[in-house]
Order: sequence, then structure tokens, then C-alpha cells
Amino acid sequence: MTPTLRRTSATLARALAGGLLCALAGAAAAHNPVCTCESVDAQRIRCTGGFSDGSKAPGVTLDVIAYDETILINGKLGADSTLVFNRPKGEFYILFDAGPGHVVEIDHAEIE
Amino acid sequence: MSTARSPSTRRAGVPAWKRWLFRVSAVFVVLPLFYLPAYFHSQELNRGTKGLGERELGEIAVGPWSVRFAEWRVEQPFRNGEAGYAKSFTLALCDTCAKQVKAAYLRVGKPRNLRAAGSIFFGSPYRQSVALPIPERVTADAELWITLEGWDGSVHQAALPLAEASPITIEWLSKRGNPT
Repeated sequence: MTPTLRRTSATLARALAGGLLCALAGAAAAHNPVCTCESVDAQRIRCTGGFSDGSKAPGVTLDVIAYDETILINGKLGADSTLVFNRPKGEFYILFDAGPGHVVEIDHAEIE
Repeated sequence: MSTARSPSTRRAGVPAWKRWLFRVSAVFVVLPLFYLPAYFHSQELNRGTKGLGERELGEIAVGPWSVRFAEWRVEQPFRNGEAGYAKSFTLALCDTCAKQVKAAYLRVGKPRNLRAAGSIFFGSPYRQSVALPIPERVTADAELWITLEGWDGSVHQAALPLAEASPITIEWLSKRGNPT
């Protein structure tokens, strides 16, 4: 490889790396909480929490709350970032709470 | 005796791929110039010289306080990784309430309580931003709820129609087939 070609390749590689970093910067700027809940069977529900950047959330609070604001289950996600619990009777919602302003709310009617 | 070579003679000694590489590199130098207007617009927006956002909605009363509210960019919601789609909004607290407000939150739909008040705004009191998650099942008649929490423990709320806050989001919802 000639010195000129080597220099050109190095410049091109730097430009590509710079472009890649700029592209990734936007993705890294925000990481909103993410939570999904599904029925395991007729009695149980499994919720999985995490963040939009793909990171897990072990130990983060996940509460199951009745419509009258009574906390039915005061849970925390396990090491695999999930929590399985028995479906409460009546109307309720699930609150994945990763701190003030970092919450996800799922109504019982949305769980399939 | 030295002899000067003509340009055509000099070109003759340069391989064709090198000549093309030169032309391509010239294109790479010129290409970014087309993005300069958008770049300067972004810079002005980030510095605040273009106001609070691309589309300012004016003053909104929230209890005894008020905020100036804006759509950060007039563009459809952006994909925010696994969290689905989000839309950025900004607000500025009123001069008199800047020291009284502890936190500002934004949510699609009325919050059940302060804990579920939605996404928190971050930044200085004079320009705070939030990337608001747009729920998949949101309808065009949805409302945005601003919640302000004071250092004294008081909580005040105000609602504004999503259609007013971001008409482009309503267009986007309609294209996605969400109920209008």
C-alpha cells in the first residue's frame, strides 16, 4: 500500500468513525423506562422492565396498584429484570417506577 | 536543462483510480455545505436564540404558576429504542415561579397521582426539555397534562389538547391508523 493510499484510508476511517459516533450520540441521549406485561396463564402475570437503551432494571420497583390507590403488590424486579405475580381481583394498574418522572404505567385492560 | 511538463503529461502519469479518488474527495468536501442551513438552524435552536422551540405555544397557566410551552421540533415523533415513539417538548417556568417549582412533568392523559405524573422535564428553569413517550393507542383527541410540583409540596396541573401542542403528531397518528 502506497503512503498516499494509506493516508487516504486513515482519513476515510476517521471520517466514518466520527460519523458513527455522531449517529450513536442521538441514541445515547435518552433512555426512557420500558415495561411490558403479559399473562403467563389465567392466574399469573409476568412483567419485564428495562430501559430504551436495552439495559435491564434488576431491583427496580414494580407496584401493582388498585384503582383506589391501594398498593396490592409492592414488588421489585428480579435479577432477570422480570417479576411474576398473581393477577389481583378487580381493576388495577401496574407502575414500573425507576424514579420520579421515570415511570411506566400499564392498565390491567392492556395485559394480554 | 530542465523541461516543464504540460498538465496533460502530468495527468498521464497518474493512475485513473487516483484521479477518481480526487474527484470523490472533492464531492465529500462540497457535500456537507448543503447541510449547513440545517446545521446553523440546529445550533441556533440549541443555543436558544430561536426561542424555546420551533413552535412556541405561549403562556399556559398551571395553578398559581405559568409556563411557556413549545414543541421542540415540528417533526413527527421519533423512535426511542424499545420505549416506542417519543416527542420532545420544552417549557420555561415563569420568572416568579422559577424558584418555587421543584419539578415539572408531562404525560399523555390525566395522571392518576403525582407518582404517575409522567416524564420529568430536565434542564434549567428557563428551558427544560422532555422526551414524551407517545402511547401506541393514543387517539387524536388526547390531552397533554403538565404537572408542576412545588418545593412547598403543592401540585398544580393544566391540560392542553395534543392537537394544539403538536398538529404534526396528529397527522402522524392519522397516517398510522390511530382513531381520530
